[in-house]
Amino acid sequence: MPLHNKRDLMSKGSGRSISRRRLLTMIGLSAGSTAMYQAMHSLGFAAETKFTRPIQLSAAPKGASVLVLGAGIAGLVAAYELRNAGYRVQVLEYNGRAGGRNWTLRGGDQYTELGGDTQECRFDPGHYINPGPWRLPHHHLGMLSYCKRLGVALEPFVQINYNAYVHSRKAFGGKPQRLRTVKADYHGHVAELLAKATQSDSLDAGVTAEDRAKLLDSLRFWGALDRNFRYVKGAASNDRRGYERDPGGGLSARPQFSEPVGLRDLLNSGLWAALPFGEMYDFQTTMFQPVGGMGQVGQAFARELAPLICYNAKIVDIHQDEHGVRATYENTAAGSSRQTVQADWCVCTIPLSILGQIPMNVGGPMAAAIAAVPYCTSVKVGLQFKRRFWEVDEHIYGGVTYTDLPIGQISYPSSGFFSDGKGVLLGAYIWDMLNSMEFTSMTPAERVAKAVEYGSTSIRNTARSLTTGSRSLGIVHRSRWVVSAFGQRRPALSTTTICADSTAASSSRESTPPTCRPGRKAPSLRRSMRLTGCTGAPSR
Amino acid sequence: MNVHKLYPGAAGWLGAGVVFWLALATVALVDTRAQADSAGIFDPATLSTTDGRQIFEQICQGCHMQNGQGAVGAGHFPSLANNRTLASRQYTALTILMGRRNMPAFGAKHAIGFGGPPATLSEDQIAAVINYVRTHFGNRYTDSITAAEVATLDQTLH
Repeated sequence: MPLHNKRDLMSKGSGRSISRRRLLTMIGLSAGSTAMYQAMHSLGFAAETKFTRPIQLSAAPKGASVLVLGAGIAGLVAAYELRNAGYRVQVLEYNGRAGGRNWTLRGGDQYTELGGDTQECRFDPGHYINPGPWRLPHHHLGMLSYCKRLGVALEPFVQINYNAYVHSRKAFGGKPQRLRTVKADYHGHVAELLAKATQSDSLDAGVTAEDRAKLLDSLRFWGALDRNFRYVKGAASNDRRGYERDPGGGLSARPQFSEPVGLRDLLNSGLWAALPFGEMYDFQTTMFQPVGGMGQVGQAFARELAPLICYNAKIVDIHQDEHGVRATYENTAAGSSRQTVQADWCVCTIPLSILGQIPMNVGGPMAAAIAAVPYCTSVKVGLQFKRRFWEVDEHIYGGVTYTDLPIGQISYPSSGFFSDGKGVLLGAYIWDMLNSMEFTSMTPAERVAKAVEYGSTSIRNTARSLTTGSRSLGIVHRSRWVVSAFGQRRPALSTTTICADSTAASSSRESTPPTCRPGRKAPSLRRSMRLTGCTGAPSR
Repeated sequence: MNVHKLYPGAAGWLGAGVVFWLALATVALVDTRAQADSAGIFDPATLSTTDGRQIFEQICQGCHMQNGQGAVGAGHFPSLANNRTLASRQYTALTILMGRRNMPAFGAKHAIGFGGPPATLSEDQIAAVINYVRTHFGNRYTDSITAAEVATLDQTLH
């Protein structure tokens, strides 16, 4: 959050310049640790490096104390770094565990959602599902660095699998297609068309005669065209899209070639829309996952910070004044008894959906900004199967099948390849608005049943390989500690800026003046979220 | 088709799934039999019901819970039972049209998607679900709201 908003942060009625401490506290309250770091840096209190090495905060003033609200990744990172710098740190966390959305469910775990439905995870040992984030891009340097420093082992996460499916109920008679064939055929047809245009001189602009020859060569190689620049059944196309019968040895060594799908059928199928997934920055290989589940990260922080974290603490009041910050909480594990803690500083990472319901003395514009962000629902379903049929029958090892069914996608585990016995699939990951609301409205058992029903139509053997319904989980983000899944960005100002969010919200929903200048970007925010390992989105 | 133009929020990793979904929904020939959704109304194209109960049970219930009782955790989802704000049908309509705090908007002017199409309800649908909620969960309001009144309220918004 840019500091030009300093004046906006004043409490209505105070009428005097805000103290630095109070300003920082408010920034921390509203925008979390990252913004507070930046502000502290700007004011000369703290120094943040670009991420060539871990953050090195300057030593704490003697006796300085910080209260961290929330033990998700943002709060844990803040607590870890501030403790290392010598601050007296105390963390209050609503849940009985650390990590927030960084979280893994395994056999023996229970999950009670808002509304009271409790599911017991009955996966066999070694199996798990990550209800929140589940994969780490290689450029999330901060997160990866903390994994290394805290001893969290990482392994490859398979995002792209050419042998996984893309599926539409309305394409190819509802029969799932291998990503390999759709990708090869799409590229092949595009290359052929472009080659034709190049040869007929229809590309008048930008392509010189010399370039034309190079372009044709590249199109032939990229699109797997034959010597006449055609994308047809044959050796070139089959080296990309796969064979009717693979080349082998002995008397039957000759391959049987498969026939490419026609351009028109391919375009009408709509399946081309699934092709760019692996090209997106956040999905580009190599991706990683913590061995044993994403929740290992939060657990590692929890071990490191154990004496500092107070669990089962429900914040019911936050008060700040010239002497510091006081937070009152109920101990939900001890008959809701109330306690108050005090510190010089506060780093607040409480989700806005909750924060907006907690009494605290911030100014009107800030309160309006906190109240202005709508939250979404999201659904994941974990299914345990008797055997890893996707590997044994389909030769699919990790990766994702995308479908137009309500389940959205099916993801195959990126670990335990070739193991005998049971396996756990991510049987649904739903975030689009209507669909996730509808799944959220169901009971957990209904969610699992629906996921199996839909999954059975997109990959074979789903239903009959299911161990039992009671061993599967339908997780929705009716989570008791966020109240929803995650905050929305507004399309009109979809740059990653808290500032723009509150501006759009204030001007469209509330009669309060905007807290920020319209369209003002905070370009370094997203970057520093990465650097500090803060999860800006639910799941990458 | 430029999906990103249709839904500006559709850029990036999260939008990808919805772009995919949209492409399939709009490009392919429609097989009505295959499109029948046994789960209900998940598909914006099939969200045509004006049954207030169905709209409540498949959209609102996700947060406000089965009997409209809401829920309490670190924060809370408001209860629709014994909720004095429901005394005003207009307040209720504006809440649904514009959203309130962390509740998303459902009016076409204000609803936003999460990387894809928003969940929008028509004036008819909004009136239907308001009339359902205000006569269930212990609520016994006798005045009802019409689609025309919802439309008039919507016109006051910008």
